[in-house]
Amino acid sequence: MRGPRVIFDEDDLRTITDEVFGVMLGLDCAPVDRAPEPLRGTVVASCVQVTGAWSGAVTLDVSADLARSAAAAMFQADPGDLSVEEIHDAVGELANMTGGNVKNLVTGTAQLSLPAVAQGIDFHMRIPGAVVRNQLDFVCAGEPLRVTVLERREERSA
Amino acid sequence: MKILVVDDSKAMRMIVVRTIAKTDQGSGAEVLEAANGAEALELVRDQQPDLVLSDWNMPEMTGIELLEALNREGLRPAFGFVTSESTPEMYERAMASGARFLVTKPFTPESLGKALAGG
Repeated sequence: MRGPRVIFDEDDLRTITDEVFGVMLGLDCAPVDRAPEPLRGTVVASCVQVTGAWSGAVTLDVSADLARSAAAAMFQADPGDLSVEEIHDAVGELANMTGGNVKNLVTGTAQLSLPAVAQGIDFHMRIPGAVVRNQLDFVCAGEPLRVTVLERREERSA
Repeated sequence: MKILVVDDSKAMRMIVVRTIAKTDQGSGAEVLEAANGAEALELVRDQQPDLVLSDWNMPEMTGIELLEALNREGLRPAFGFVTSESTPEMYERAMASGARFLVTKPFTPESLGKALAGG
């Protein structure tokens, strides 16, 4: 029987999120038991996948306003001056940092994918074969942020 | 001093460039940018930077592939990684290839400054 491959808990995830959004971007970011306002309207979602000793994914779901605020902090630009490409670049990098730090807590060798970003209304990002391991809600700069860690379970033989 | 910042994220390149300017070592440095290892390799050949600060995971050519390519060509700028990943295996591979340091994102001006100072 193999030992644990993932040794992080929700406190680690809160710390990582605080370091990425709070320390690095300077955005006031606090965990909440449940998002006060579900992510409605336009949502920007980003995802990185981890493959190897542990396989799964880390996704970020942010409101369009938070995506723009985070990008403005990263580019140090007026939020209204940012292009969609710049906003997506920024949100993808946030997933990369969050996912990379989650991967650092995985025992064994694993690979991190490049980030993927999607934007839309009322959509659901699905990682085939993966189930939700952790899901935490935050309020950052007054806007909702959801961090989800998905885990791919052992593959079954056909 | 000439520093080449390599990252596929434009947002992250801007953060790294701003942070470099806040450090004792990087203040006043000329900064070049590349979006992947292949672009960076061309810039090192042409511009001969003193230091390369590179992400690890990038399209086209990764950071470690860039470092290994520089080694093969006998190009030896000081090299450090600024990456969200920092497993022991990656650290060992980076050091074995001649990297001076590996700074984990998210970073602070203090942590990057310490790495640039060789601390």
